Amino acid sequence: MPAKGVTGQEGLDTFPKLLLHNARTLPDHPSIREKDLGIWQSWNWSEVLEEVRALAIGLQKLGLQAGEKIAICGENRPRLYWTFVAAQSVGAVPVPVYQDSVAEEMAYVMEHAGAAFVVVEDQEQVDKLFQISETVSCIRHIIYDDPRGLRDYQEENLHSFKDVQEKGRKALRDAPQAKTGWEETINAGKGSDISVFLYTSGTTGRPKGVVLSHDNVLITARETAILEGLRPDEEVLAYLPMAWVGDHIFSYGQSYVCGFCVSCPESPETMLQDLREIGPTYFFAPPRIFENILTTVMIRMEDAAPLKRKLFKYFLGVAKEYGEAILNGENVPLKGRLLYALGNILIYGPLKNTLGFSRIRIGYTAGEAIGPEIFRFYRSLGINLKQLYGQTEAAVFITVQPDGEIHADTVGVPAPGVEVKIAESGEVLYRSPGVFVEYYKNPESTSETKTGGGWVHSGDAGFFDDRGHLKIIDRAKDVGRLNNDAMFAPKYIENKLKFYPNIKEVVAFGDGRDMCTVFINIDLTAVGSWAERNNVPYASYQELAANDLVYDMIEAHVDEVNAGLAREPGISGSQIRRFLILHKELDADDGELTRTRKVRRAFIADRYAPLVTALYDGSEMTHIETEVTFEDGRKGMIAADIQIRDMQTYEPPTSMEAAQ
Amino acid sequence: MSPEPVQTRIFEEEILSVSDVSLSFGGVKAIQNVSFDIKRGEIRAIIGPNGAGKTSMLNVINGFYHPQEGLIRFKGKARRRMRPSIAAAQGIARTFQNVALFKGMSTLDNIMTGRLPRLEKGIFGEIVNVFLQAAYLGPARRSELEQRKYVEEIIDFLEIQHIRRTPVGRLPYGLQKRVELGRALAMEPELLLLDEPMAGMNLEEKEDMSRFIIDVNDQYGTTIALIEHDISVVMDLSDRIIVLDYGRKIADGTPGEVQSNQAVMDAYLGVPHE
Repeated sequence: MPAKGVTGQEGLDTFPKLLLHNARTLPDHPSIREKDLGIWQSWNWSEVLEEVRALAIGLQKLGLQAGEKIAICGENRPRLYWTFVAAQSVGAVPVPVYQDSVAEEMAYVMEHAGAAFVVVEDQEQVDKLFQISETVSCIRHIIYDDPRGLRDYQEENLHSFKDVQEKGRKALRDAPQAKTGWEETINAGKGSDISVFLYTSGTTGRPKGVVLSHDNVLITARETAILEGLRPDEEVLAYLPMAWVGDHIFSYGQSYVCGFCVSCPESPETMLQDLREIGPTYFFAPPRIFENILTTVMIRMEDAAPLKRKLFKYFLGVAKEYGEAILNGENVPLKGRLLYALGNILIYGPLKNTLGFSRIRIGYTAGEAIGPEIFRFYRSLGINLKQLYGQTEAAVFITVQPDGEIHADTVGVPAPGVEVKIAESGEVLYRSPGVFVEYYKNPESTSETKTGGGWVHSGDAGFFDDRGHLKIIDRAKDVGRLNNDAMFAPKYIENKLKFYPNIKEVVAFGDGRDMCTVFINIDLTAVGSWAERNNVPYASYQELAANDLVYDMIEAHVDEVNAGLAREPGISGSQIRRFLILHKELDADDGELTRTRKVRRAFIADRYAPLVTALYDGSEMTHIETEVTFEDGRKGMIAADIQIRDMQTYEPPTSMEAAQ
Repeated sequence: MSPEPVQTRIFEEEILSVSDVSLSFGGVKAIQNVSFDIKRGEIRAIIGPNGAGKTSMLNVINGFYHPQEGLIRFKGKARRRMRPSIAAAQGIARTFQNVALFKGMSTLDNIMTGRLPRLEKGIFGEIVNVFLQAAYLGPARRSELEQRKYVEEIIDFLEIQHIRRTPVGRLPYGLQKRVELGRALAMEPELLLLDEPMAGMNLEEKEDMSRFIIDVNDQYGTTIALIEHDISVVMDLSDRIIVLDYGRKIADGTPGEVQSNQAVMDAYLGVPHE
């Protein structure tokens, strides 16, 4: 039962076939846009076909063979997206690499994948490649998109993207049959062919190369496009890393399946302005983006004129009371509907317009738990924000929240074609057409993860609630026990704290220990603004983090969380007994966070071992020196004296109180 | 990545020469009998202790001060008295020690002002232009689009797209300096004078600014004369260096030559009094 926009796609089982199809059926429909010199430039599907064909033939002329790997590294750029399909059209496999990875990380992935070609965005990446070229011997050719600063580079194996395309165009002029030959190769492709390697960011150990077939990506992309009724006229902003499976599905897979246009921001810093200009109808963002936007809005409202501030506060209250119910299509009294309509004219409409959210039909968030307050805020404004649960190994979709059944604390019901069950151990298992082929050159991990009957171990602990919705607690292997045998789910506790705007990151300790303790990173934007309004002087993150008033404020948050934890059966034993505020922000460059900004708990525990010891030896102050890596790769030391605070815990309510 | 300069660049054509220039304010002799030249395409640094006359020298070059004695030749033509606006029209642009931008205007508009000298067309032309501009018609529209395109290229070059619409008064200092460089570049100068482009910057901002200075010199082929206190930056960037002390030139040469010059060491480190 195909939906509008995704009809008549039988036999279109690979990306290159879809490209030919889109160029035939939607020749003048925009396919991709980028902002260049302040102006949005777009290419329609027939132009994209021409560009991709020239590139593919050019790559062949340079010696690219079927089965070879071609690494892709850079910000979201049309030419880099074209490289995916050009490579696939000649049977080569694209391997996107995180553009902000340091040289060694990049070297590992390229070496492991055996990349013969690398296509990069600019000089920065070219320099990194030359830096690693001694250790990575498999790279034969490097191709760059932006020529700035590369004029004087003489290396023979370095080519500009335009030159490679020119080679292809020349070959096509000299031998017109090359065009039909290329199309024949495409038509010979099968859905079971390998389409892409996506390296997982790896909270532990080396990244693993997840091998996905065209079927994996396209069936998943198509099923969910049908579920959400996606059409060719959707607008999407491609701003998340190209190496991440989410971007691969939302900005590439679904764009090719539905034919909708994807816009690439001018630069990562202009993303919020570009968002406003494009006004996407279909938008994906990890929770931290929604958090950042909300924090910015709240800070700016603090500085607004009193009347505006009052209006904002009042109508936010109205939205909180009626907004979600209206969005869910429930019964709402007439008064509520009228007030909400007025609020929409005065506050919600203009606010959504400023944020670029006016046209959103479907918004997704995933990757981490989102704070219930944040989630409800957006929904109450009338933005259809939904949670989904996914993994690279599943080509994203495992569960998704159906319209009208949205709960802040669950991730929804199994996506179309996906079966989910809970193992004895509490681990979530799934089986779907999107399930990956294997981990590249790693049969051991493949057989550990993919077991009998095609079931995949997600590594997450969770359960279905009484509404049939999946609820994820934590990584299965992270769920531990305190010495008094109380259950300890670190991420659950961390998330509860992170929902406070003043707290940016949290690391919880407790497995195999006597009590639960936490490291806290304050949010410099939110706490900085608070400091400004309350005349608290500070010169740096470190100084603000050590301030007594900041400690008092965080202590109040921890106290509230403890009170909340006390009411939850099973977990009330792991209330937070001691906490400290870290003297530096956790940073991916120091290896403390993954590239997708997840805390690497074991690494942090090791790096800050003296602090962990201090949390458990009862001391009130401790001294630490830490090595930090600056953005240019140099290292330095910072030293600090850190205060540790004790917290009181709450008794779990007796069954009498709980019944009330 | 070697710390040594790759090779000494050779420049032939003289773009500016200063001969025997002296400048005094009442009894204060700011510059005394200074002569030097700047070759087309090079990066020339002027260094010296505080009060050595460096900024005065830049002000003489762009016509803001008029020396009592001496001769300045720009592109082969001698000039005695000249206004800064004429210097600008001839191809000399500059930035200032204390950022001098229009604080209430956006980055884009500030850099656009750098294009104004290119638009001068007499009083009648101006009057016609005002009407055309108001109606956004014909030549005015075309010219506006052309100028904007040039400015957008500079914005792209300096990587300041994200602050295109931000009033510069709200920007941090390092970015304001970059916008000021952008405005100077918008004039398409042949000679760019930079007065302490890196003052008050942190290490990372200094590295960015150095990168931009090298790129401007490399890609636009602009000749650059700069005053800077950070000696390591000067040694890395410049082809030749002039050292001033109490208004006199005490050394002139490549970074290597200047570094080993006794007079320079004395000026910077002081001389023991017997």
